[in-house]
Amino acid sequence: MDITLPLFGTATTTSGSSGLHVEGLVTSLNTATPWQLSLPATGVFGLTGPSGSGKSTLLAALAGLRRCRGDIAFANTVWQRGRRALATHKRAASLGFQDSRLFAGQSVADNLALARKYSHRPLPAEECEQLLKAFGIAPLLHQPVELLSGGEAQRVALLRQLFHNAPLQLFDEPLSAVDRAQVLRNLLPTLRDFWARYPALVLWTSHDFDEVQLLAQRCLWMQSADLSAPLPLFEVAKYLDSKAVGDSCRSRIEARVESLRGGLLTLELGGVSIYADRVAGDYRKGDTAVFLLEAGDISLSVEKPGLSSILNCLPVTLTGKKHLADGRTRLQLTLTEQVIYADISQLSCERLQLREGSTYFAQFKAGSPAGL
Amino acid sequence: MNIAAADWQALWLTLKLAGLTTLLLFIIGVPLAWKLSQWQSRWRHGVEVLITLPLVLPPTVLGFYLLLLFSPNYAPGQWLSQLFGSPLVFSFTGLVFASVLYSLPFMVQPLLAAFSANGQRLTQAAAALGIPPWAALLKVLLPASRAAIVSACALTFAHTLGEFGVVLMIGGAIPGETQVVSIALFQHVEAMEYGAAHRLALMLMGITTVMLLMARWLGHLLSPRGSHKEGVKPVMGVLG
Repeated sequence: MDITLPLFGTATTTSGSSGLHVEGLVTSLNTATPWQLSLPATGVFGLTGPSGSGKSTLLAALAGLRRCRGDIAFANTVWQRGRRALATHKRAASLGFQDSRLFAGQSVADNLALARKYSHRPLPAEECEQLLKAFGIAPLLHQPVELLSGGEAQRVALLRQLFHNAPLQLFDEPLSAVDRAQVLRNLLPTLRDFWARYPALVLWTSHDFDEVQLLAQRCLWMQSADLSAPLPLFEVAKYLDSKAVGDSCRSRIEARVESLRGGLLTLELGGVSIYADRVAGDYRKGDTAVFLLEAGDISLSVEKPGLSSILNCLPVTLTGKKHLADGRTRLQLTLTEQVIYADISQLSCERLQLREGSTYFAQFKAGSPAGL
Repeated sequence: MNIAAADWQALWLTLKLAGLTTLLLFIIGVPLAWKLSQWQSRWRHGVEVLITLPLVLPPTVLGFYLLLLFSPNYAPGQWLSQLFGSPLVFSFTGLVFASVLYSLPFMVQPLLAAFSANGQRLTQAAAALGIPPWAALLKVLLPASRAAIVSACALTFAHTLGEFGVVLMIGGAIPGETQVVSIALFQHVEAMEYGAAHRLALMLMGITTVMLLMARWLGHLLSPRGSHKEGVKPVMGVLG
């Protein structure tokens, strides 16, 4: 019989690997479906699923803020074994709450300074400056947190967590109240660049699958307190489709960077150059860029169009057609492995006499790629 | 106004007692209220009732038992008088001791209310950023509860100023040692010196009024600037 007590903070995990390992984690929510999870030491992972499925509970349990049973270990340190748990503040983790929870009675700057002060790997000052600017927080620094709007409070809370720069960063709907356009245009590219420079294991919970698609390569799916292993994004997209959420459809595209000049990004996709303007992220030649294309932004042409102000034109193969309930038709277009969705009207569909397997030309403006 | 030296002495003693009591209670009350706000046990109710008792009991009940506790005829009193170098009955130290017990609910209750409202959520947020519990109390919870702290201190101070029953039971009326303003006032009335009684009574009313006004002003000053402005909605997620 093993009688040695677990030594918190020093005992090594059985697997000996440095990532996050969760074994048989049971809270009052998932008594029948214990959670297992194994993630590497760095990388961004999405976590999504229907409301009330237990996503927040999982994050709280990982942070040590919710009573649970089971084994949790991170970076060769035992956080929980059986019922014994390491105190939250001793874990190399940070958790951002849905409701911001800024420290009341203090200014925005105080909030940020406090998080940086208790960081074990504080960011250099110039990095903080850069983040402040990108998040649009610099003009708010001296405001008391009580005067911030909901979206501003969320941005400050997210920034506070970045300033803390924990090795494991857990986020719970951190951008739900922030203006969509700002999220896609500024915040997500900034976050992606940040985690490329300061690697951490990030678990990003969101109902907005666009956020997950732009930040993560893989996503966990939680349904009725049942947690999946990390899945490729298209599989999670299928789950979401089966839940029939939302009427907009965005395709996730990966393309190779050719050049970035004056905010105009040139990318290579299936042998064709495409362009994106108003780019916020930092890209170098050879990088892989990820962006979203709204299905409604794409037009289809039977013949190769002539010179046009619409910069992007891709030769695509029609691989599927689906009539939508609102009278439009959703086309599934394929270009070397990449799947692009386009929504066109029923009338266009009949006029163009679209046939599956034929090649067409998909056009979109340089302003359409989102999240770059 | 023409106030006798003995009355000035009583006034000074009262302010000294109230100030010392408030300071001691702040030091005791903050950690006590903090621990209580985090304590999840059925015993918590019992402890809270115990702390609230001085609020409802006649001060003479507390005074009576303190008198027995301090009495040099019994073991606890002997031990206490050894600890403090002299018996606690009829001494200023004894008065401070009694005032701390007597005014305890006035310090702990407002703090407990503020900590219970803010505490759980803000301490969780602090812990989730690696801030240890004591630092979370000092750097997160206390700044978030400033208004409650001001009102707790003001209430404690004002309540101690008006203490009478307990002082009468364990302190008596030794000038410069235990004769506080309320006792001096009572003695003036008993001796039919209504003029002197008026002067002391008005002085006490003036001091307490100014103090409560100052507490309000301070509370207003500490509330976030401009939060009373229209159109500025209190933030979702920010407590306090």
